[in-house]
Amino acid sequence: MLIEYLPIAILLVISTGLAALIVWIGNTFGPRRPTLRKSLPYESGMNPIGPGTRRMPVRFYLVAVLFILFDIEVVFFLPWAIVFRQLGLFGLIEMFVFIFILLVGYVYAWKKGALEWE
Amino acid sequence: MNVQDLYAISPLIVLVTWATLLILVDVYIIRDRNGGTPILAALGLLVAMGFAIAQTGQQYTAFNGMAVVDGFAIFLQVLFLGSGLVGIALAYNYLQRMGIERSEYYILLLYSISGMMLMAIAADLIVVFLALELLSIPLYVLAGFGRPKVEPEEAALKYFLLGAFAGGFVVYGIALAFGATATTSLAGIVQAVNAGSANLTLLSIGAALILIGLGFKVAAVPFHMWTPDVYQGAPSAVTAFMSVGAKAGGFAALLRVFVSALPELAADLSPVLWVLAALTMILGNVVAIAQGNIKRLLAYSSIAHAGYILMALVVFGNTQVSSDAVAAALFYLVAYAVTSFGAWAVVIALEKAEQKGLALDDYAGLGRKYPGLAAAMAVFMLSFTGVPPTLGFVGKLYLFRTVLEGGFIWLAVIGVLTSLVSAYYYLRIVVIMYMRDGDPQVHAEPWLRLTAGVTAVATVVLSLYAGPLFAWASQAVLKLF
Amino acid sequence: MGDPITAISLWLDGLLAGWGLAPALIIVIKALLGVGALATAVLLVDIFLVWVERKVVARFQDRLGPNRLGPFGLIQPFADVIKLLIKEDITPVGADRIVYNLAPIMALATVLLLWAVIPLAPTVVGTDVNVGVLYIVGVGALGTLGIIMAGWASNNKYALIGAFRTVAQMVSYEVPMVIALLVPVLLARSMGINSIVNAQDSYWFILVAPIAFLLTLITSIAELGRAPFDLVEAESEIVAGFHIEYTGMKFGLFYAGELLHALTLSGIVASLFLGGWRGPGAESFPLLGIVYFFAKAFFLYWVIMWVKYSLPRIRIDQMLNLNWKFLTPLSLVVLVVTALLDKALVGVQPWVYVLVLLAANLVIAWVTLQILRSRARKERQRVAEPRPIARPPAAPVSSQGA
Repeated sequence: MLIEYLPIAILLVISTGLAALIVWIGNTFGPRRPTLRKSLPYESGMNPIGPGTRRMPVRFYLVAVLFILFDIEVVFFLPWAIVFRQLGLFGLIEMFVFIFILLVGYVYAWKKGALEWE
Repeated sequence: MNVQDLYAISPLIVLVTWATLLILVDVYIIRDRNGGTPILAALGLLVAMGFAIAQTGQQYTAFNGMAVVDGFAIFLQVLFLGSGLVGIALAYNYLQRMGIERSEYYILLLYSISGMMLMAIAADLIVVFLALELLSIPLYVLAGFGRPKVEPEEAALKYFLLGAFAGGFVVYGIALAFGATATTSLAGIVQAVNAGSANLTLLSIGAALILIGLGFKVAAVPFHMWTPDVYQGAPSAVTAFMSVGAKAGGFAALLRVFVSALPELAADLSPVLWVLAALTMILGNVVAIAQGNIKRLLAYSSIAHAGYILMALVVFGNTQVSSDAVAAALFYLVAYAVTSFGAWAVVIALEKAEQKGLALDDYAGLGRKYPGLAAAMAVFMLSFTGVPPTLGFVGKLYLFRTVLEGGFIWLAVIGVLTSLVSAYYYLRIVVIMYMRDGDPQVHAEPWLRLTAGVTAVATVVLSLYAGPLFAWASQAVLKLF
Repeated sequence: MGDPITAISLWLDGLLAGWGLAPALIIVIKALLGVGALATAVLLVDIFLVWVERKVVARFQDRLGPNRLGPFGLIQPFADVIKLLIKEDITPVGADRIVYNLAPIMALATVLLLWAVIPLAPTVVGTDVNVGVLYIVGVGALGTLGIIMAGWASNNKYALIGAFRTVAQMVSYEVPMVIALLVPVLLARSMGINSIVNAQDSYWFILVAPIAFLLTLITSIAELGRAPFDLVEAESEIVAGFHIEYTGMKFGLFYAGELLHALTLSGIVASLFLGGWRGPGAESFPLLGIVYFFAKAFFLYWVIMWVKYSLPRIRIDQMLNLNWKFLTPLSLVVLVVTALLDKALVGVQPWVYVLVLLAANLVIAWVTLQILRSRARKERQRVAEPRPIARPPAAPVSSQGA
């Protein structure tokens, strides 16, 4: 039922509103004496070198891709886990086939070194 | 689900299981010791082909009408599996020579073929989409197989972005078709249209969107922009497979969807297809004249041939001609596959690292130094042009005949005229090979030589026995309902 | 007087209906009041958490902690809040202002949102959606977005590195976490949190799925980015990670969000594995259920703190190895074994069921330990072998003198 999601919607409004209010209070009541030195990005006291947003190692993206692959597959387990008693032996076998395919991908990624950081 | 359902997709099951196990075998047993994987992959294709052929003559639907086994499906499945075998033969030495030998090539090839085979048996738009993605995603990876160089990466990215874009069109078209008829099954769509409960305007828009999406896959003008760049950048073995397999897969879906589910929309869609076919033939052939790179030339040539096959689709609404048209399209697909694979085998034989050996001038003197290879290439060029006695000629003959039977005389005229235009650039290669002096360097490994030789002989010999082949294709037409 | 919550709800029904309001409006008003009360209570608990955290860490480090303001220093966090509120709010040069300001809001709001589905007592639950676990996974992942927003918008390279590390860690540990969360879902045959708590009437799920419990706890700690997984804010390498550039109350929001997140995840784990609000007399006296729930949640919270202040920080490669090469396969094995046994044990006595599953878990744990031990032995041998001594290349001794 959609009505079950009403409290979530209200909580969404309340929580963001509350957090925004807190940020606003901090903005308003705090002193404001900006100087250039104060507002430079903090690099432990040194003057910042180069731009703050720079290219990141591609390994992070590899992790992200792995996550998407596995998480999407894992999410398919959720509905299965609820009804697997009703599905009977067929559901169990079918899911093991699915897990097997997932495992093949996993083994491949491992053996090809996708799980190594260096 | 019952046993017959599983039997219906048995070639597919075999192939997918084989590919999945091949990953494990490759990772654990073969490792980096070369060899093994291509042979195992070819074996898998042969086994799957056995399962496919075992179903010859049968006709039934499976999985509650999601899949259908009929002559059309079996014919195409055999074609796809055969092109997979050639794809392996072409790559066997080529990958080594280019220093990109990774066994993933063969595994991805198997997955891509399983997508094409799913396309052949799809009787539901959802399955069509599933098959389209299963067909395409391995091909995106294969297009970038020559990494880390710029051209393959560019090719892969272009192919991926435009392919994903096209996939979006297909899905949106499917959604509209579902909105119009409240079903995604092809049989259901026909029923809804016959019962008058379908919203025909919405269905036409949906069909047009599906046509656009699949038009990208078969490289029909104006959805062809990616073709030359991708064909040029991708490793030649991949390009060869792509130009045959992906195209045949796209046409399988187009024929299945339009001929069996949407004949009622012919009044709206035939003119659109007419324009598409005419544009594709004209642009493909005319732009090909200006190409100096053999891979780009073959890319435009493949666009042009997509136009010829599209001609068969124009008559899809005419129920008297449509089965002949499907047979002609299937026959032309075979003719194009044989000829194209042969031509690519020659291209691969001449290609050197760093995209060298691909200019037309590199073919100078081939006739004197390697007469066999040059003769084979000449046969392929004649077949592309449509000169007897080659398969290309017979294929075009059947195509033009069905188009004329369907009453589209001007389209046939455009087809003939563009064929004449194409003679210019195809025969120019023959002229360069035989009339100019040069010192071509050829790596004609045994598998390449075998492929080129067999396809060249087949191009000529099969054209002499075209009647039985066409009869087989005629039996293979859609008998969905 | 056994159930004041229901009593209040009924009283409100009567009162509002007496005012002549439409039934739909009554539902909305009641939801508004209930959710408002929940959010206020949770935020109060959050402020209290600051005190708990400081007090406990002091004890772990053999100190006293705050003890001046109020009894046991209980007023201290309120003073902290006031101090943070009147601090100067600095926005660094080149920051993406909108994203920069949205990030802390996102960090707190997503954590608060999780409380909507956690049952505090049989009748005290924001809403019992039937996809509770999925909701928790999904909304929990939104917190990651707040962090990457903070790191990106700060225009500070250390903040960005910290954010990337955080995201890599959070998304990695989400995989075993979801698989481990599947075990209670599978046992309860429902994704609703309250249904899962209700399904634990005869035994807690920690008895039948101890490994899944441990996995969930470990991955929760990683999701929190707390030690030993706090390389995301390793001060010796990247200053403070994604929240370097945040000052005043914006930093306070991140801090409060992190503490509350820890308690939230403790509460979720307590609900899924420790029976949530279950305890003697909780059904008839829901307020007692709240006490039980918070007792369990705070126990787990204390465990998390215990781990945090006892273990050293790990490196990023160790972090990823632990996840991908240990937790993920282990969680899959647990899931498969649990599903198989659950299938095989249809219609047996509950105590047989519990014993068999417990034994299976112990076997898995033992096998895992054996594998780990043999690996460690090999690793020790490899390290113990004399390393090849780096010799200078046998260069010709030619240059004389100079």
